[in-house]
Amino acid sequence: MSQMNGASSLVASLEAAGVDVMFGIPGGAILPAYDPIFSSSIRHILVRHEQGAGHAATGYAQVTGRVGVCIATSGPGATNLVTPLADAAMDSVPVVAITGQVPSVAIGTDAFQEADIRGITMPFAKHNYLITNPADIPRAIAEAFYIASTGRPGPVLVDIAKDALQAMTDFKYPTSVNLAGYKPKSIPDNQSILDAAALITQSSKPVFYVGGGVIKANASRELLELAQLLGAPVVTTLMARGAFPDSHPLHLGMPGMHGTVAAVTALQKADLLITLGARFDDRVTGKLSTFAVNAKVLHADIDPAEIGKNRFADVAVLGDLKNTISALIPALKSALAKNQPDLTPWLNQMNSLQAAYPLGYDKPNDGTLSPQYVIERLGKISGPEAIFAAGVGQHQMWASQFVSYENPRTWLNSGGLGTMGYAVPAAMGAKVGAPDTTVWAIDGDGCFQMTNQELTTCALNNIPIKVAIINNESLGMVRQWQTMFYEGRYSNTNLESKRVPNFPMLAEAMGCVGLSCEREEDVDATIEKAMGINDQPVVIDFRVHRDAMVWPMVAAGTSNDDIMIARETTPDWDSQEL
Amino acid sequence: MAQHILEVLVENSPGVLARVAGLFSRRAYNIERLSVGPTTDPSISQMDIVVNLEGHALEQVIAQLDKLINVISIKEIIPNKTAPAVHDTQPDYQN
Repeated sequence: MSQMNGASSLVASLEAAGVDVMFGIPGGAILPAYDPIFSSSIRHILVRHEQGAGHAATGYAQVTGRVGVCIATSGPGATNLVTPLADAAMDSVPVVAITGQVPSVAIGTDAFQEADIRGITMPFAKHNYLITNPADIPRAIAEAFYIASTGRPGPVLVDIAKDALQAMTDFKYPTSVNLAGYKPKSIPDNQSILDAAALITQSSKPVFYVGGGVIKANASRELLELAQLLGAPVVTTLMARGAFPDSHPLHLGMPGMHGTVAAVTALQKADLLITLGARFDDRVTGKLSTFAVNAKVLHADIDPAEIGKNRFADVAVLGDLKNTISALIPALKSALAKNQPDLTPWLNQMNSLQAAYPLGYDKPNDGTLSPQYVIERLGKISGPEAIFAAGVGQHQMWASQFVSYENPRTWLNSGGLGTMGYAVPAAMGAKVGAPDTTVWAIDGDGCFQMTNQELTTCALNNIPIKVAIINNESLGMVRQWQTMFYEGRYSNTNLESKRVPNFPMLAEAMGCVGLSCEREEDVDATIEKAMGINDQPVVIDFRVHRDAMVWPMVAAGTSNDDIMIARETTPDWDSQEL
Repeated sequence: MAQHILEVLVENSPGVLARVAGLFSRRAYNIERLSVGPTTDPSISQMDIVVNLEGHALEQVIAQLDKLINVISIKEIIPNKTAPAVHDTQPDYQN
């Protein structure tokens, strides 16, 4: 135990929690903490906007599996963290946010830069703290890291009053955390595993419905073994891309609103959904009452509140997915030894759907650049080890569809909250977490204009990310909906980003290399040029055709049975035996 | 619809009532009646929450309440019965 002020106690606590990097911006209320940060072993990356700090912490966490840390001052500094923390909550990312608060005597007086950030983040943070006594700092930090990283991961905010940072205190970091109301269950009950194995052997049309929980639990290897043991088809949701190799013959691709025909149909026609760390999100189920109506549900998750939230579970398995799948493998082996269902007809049906309706796109007939082609080449040239972060919209869906993901933690996106502007700062955090790996932000011209200021941070801090702007001079996904549902009345979706701003010049101004490409024959050479630059961030302005649309599509609120493979075109179901 | 009483033990910490009330509001559930009082342990308070919910909705509200870190346990009092039994979410210390 040693005497120090609250600020030093905070930094010593962060060091004790194993923090090696944090992203933030100082300000009045948090200023005491920035003095010990100055001499700490923790790398502090000075961002240009607190939203960037939050998404960078998220990107770092998603790539490394460790807790991402961001830090900001009171009031606007804290409220600028709200979007990335809500984002981290929706996508179950372990993030700890530290915010300064006005002095405790000023709390509640509408003081300068006062905002009730604990109250503001209460609806979505996994937990949060307001600390006014410096003696509480080490315990709050230890609990915050424990809560953020265990069970279903999520963001935890620790708001600390300025006077608590300034006052003297004894520093003693807790050796263990014991919370009466928080006991995440990590080992599944044996009976639930036996029930799950029994349910699986009764199924002739099972499908693995794999969600982001498999990546969070680092259970990809176990999933591969389980899937091969049963020999059933696998679909990976937007949050689970990379959890199962795209190249694997059992993989049918992504389900949901822009999923493959085979993946959507597999869920729809299955008699059993083997649900692993997925949450029956509306983007996957379509109209819930028509979703997989003949399927029983095996639901394995670490969060008890997900069981039965949107869909009744016939068998629920509560626990960490790595433990769950590891226990399920031997249980299923012995169950299959007694009763091995023949999945061949089912697999044949799905394979024929996959062959009949592969992901594809038509190149524009006016010679302009196809966005899907650009993204496909980015994936091919960068290889299966590269990390991709996407923004939100058409380019995000294409980046999920046309890059082949072979490894977990190589695909980062804002799945649940759908946060435009996620890509650049998330890629920054990812590159900090994986400095020797190629990190691409595949961004839209709309998204890019929300958070590109962090390229300055990247340039100054030796974080050489690569950014591919898929510039269709539009809010492309909104425009697609206007095309489909608003008779082509393009209200406020025209960004004119081929005129202003000049993206390569903007990039150069921020200390990056700026490139531009608008012809198919230049795509490979431009990507290769970017791949060769590793001492500076690179931005490529890919000027693409504006009317390209994302297909397939299940329109919002409709049934997955009504999947469209192109405008007003549905699969030829009569030719398929289902 | 039958009224159910949830006997919720919570940490006696600032903001815990806001956490519980906020959860009901954002998940679109109504609270019929709510009372908060001390227990013999000064660090723990008891909330009695009366809800007009049953079946799936009731299970969801209990599961979501139990996710709040400051909520220690939830007992559901079955209408017309005296013994609180089901949905005892006392933590399972085996894991």
